[in-house]
Amino acid sequence: MARTKLLSVCCIVTTLALPQVALVTAGMSVLSISGVTAAAAAPSKLGDLSSFRAIVVDTAGLVDQGNLPGATLRIKDLETSWDAAEAGLKPRAAADWHVVDKAIDKALTALRAPKPDAIECKKTLSDLLAVMDNPAAR
Amino acid sequence: MPPSTRRTSRILENKVPEITAVFWVIKILATTVGETGADYLAVNAGLGTGLTTGLTCAVLLALLCIQVAMPRYVPAIYWLTVVFVSVVGTQLTDVLTDRMEVSLYYSTAAFAFLLLVAFAVWYAVERTLSIHAVDTTRRELFYWLVVLLTFALGTAAGDLATEALGLGFTLGVLVFSGAIAFIGLLYFANMNGVLAFWLAYVLTRPLGASLGDLLSQSQIYGGLGLGAVNTSLIFLTIILMLVVYLTLARAGRTQRPA
Repeated sequence: MARTKLLSVCCIVTTLALPQVALVTAGMSVLSISGVTAAAAAPSKLGDLSSFRAIVVDTAGLVDQGNLPGATLRIKDLETSWDAAEAGLKPRAAADWHVVDKAIDKALTALRAPKPDAIECKKTLSDLLAVMDNPAAR
Repeated sequence: MPPSTRRTSRILENKVPEITAVFWVIKILATTVGETGADYLAVNAGLGTGLTTGLTCAVLLALLCIQVAMPRYVPAIYWLTVVFVSVVGTQLTDVLTDRMEVSLYYSTAAFAFLLLVAFAVWYAVERTLSIHAVDTTRRELFYWLVVLLTFALGTAAGDLATEALGLGFTLGVLVFSGAIAFIGLLYFANMNGVLAFWLAYVLTRPLGASLGDLLSQSQIYGGLGLGAVNTSLIFLTIILMLVVYLTLARAGRTQRPA
C-alpha cells in the first residue's frame, strides 16, 4: 500500500517536470537567434543587468544632489529586485553573481550607515556600476 | 519495530505522520513557503537577517515545545513545525555561507557528517531509526534534530548544485525529481525503507526550492512570473487545504468505535 503511494508521488513529480523539457528546448532556440545582440549589449554571462544598473544610476544621482535619505530609499528597490532575481541570475554565472552581490552589499552598507558619508556612498556606487558593467574583471 | 515499552514513555501513539502521497506533497510545498517566508521578512519587511533569524528560531522553539507536549499527532501543529524547521534550516546554511563565508563544499560535507552522527546516536540509543514508532519524547527529539539537519543539508547541497554545476531551477526540478523517482525505484527493489525515506526527504528540499523558483521567477529567467508572494500564497493555500483534509480524516477515524 505505502509503496504504491510512493510510486504515485514519483509519477506526479515526474509529470510536473516533463513540460519543462519542452520549455528548455524552446528557450534554447530563442537564445541562439538573439544570442548575437545579447552578447554585444552584455559582456557578462549574467546577461542583461540594465534594470538593476538604472537603479544604481538613479541612486548615484540622488547622492550627487545631497539627498542621502532619498538615495537610501531608492537603493532598497535594487536590494529587493536583485534578491528576487537570484534564482534566475545566479546559475548563469555564479562567480560573477557573487562579485556583483558583494558590491551591492558594500553600497547598501555605506548608504545605511548611522551617519552615511556622501563620498563613501559615491565611491561604492561607482564601484558597483563598474562591476555591473564587467563583473569578470574583478 | 515494536513501540517502545519503557515505563518512562507515557506517549503510546506514533507522534509523526505515516508516509503517504499527501505527506510528500505537503513536505515539498512547505519547503518553498519556508524559504520565501524568511526572504520576505528579511528583505521586503525590512527586518534584516539577524532579527528574522532570531524571530523564527524563537517561534520554532515554541512550536517544538507544543509539538512535544501534545499527547498525539496533530496535523496542524506538526506541519507548522515543519514549515519553521524549513525556515531555520535554510537560515543556518545562509548564515554560514553569506555571513561567515564558509564554502558550500565544506558546509555540505559538514551537514552530511552531522546527519550521519545524529543517525548513529539515534540508533545507538534507541536500537531503531523507525519513523513508525516515534512514540517517546526522546525519539521525537531525535526525529526533529534529523529533520532540521536534512533541511540544512538539502539547502547546502542544492545551493552547491547551483553554484558548481550552474544548475538552474528548470533543470533543477528535473534533476531532483528524477533523483527522488530513482530512490523510489530502489525502494521498490527492496532498498532499506528508512534509508530511502531520509534520502528522499533531503532531496525534497532542493526540489521544493526549484519548484518554487519555477513558479515565482520572472519569465525572462524562464519562470512563470508569479512572484514570491503569490507562489507562497498558492502553496500555503494548498497546504492549508491538505492539513484540513488530514485533520478531518483523522477525526472521522477516531470517532468510529475501535
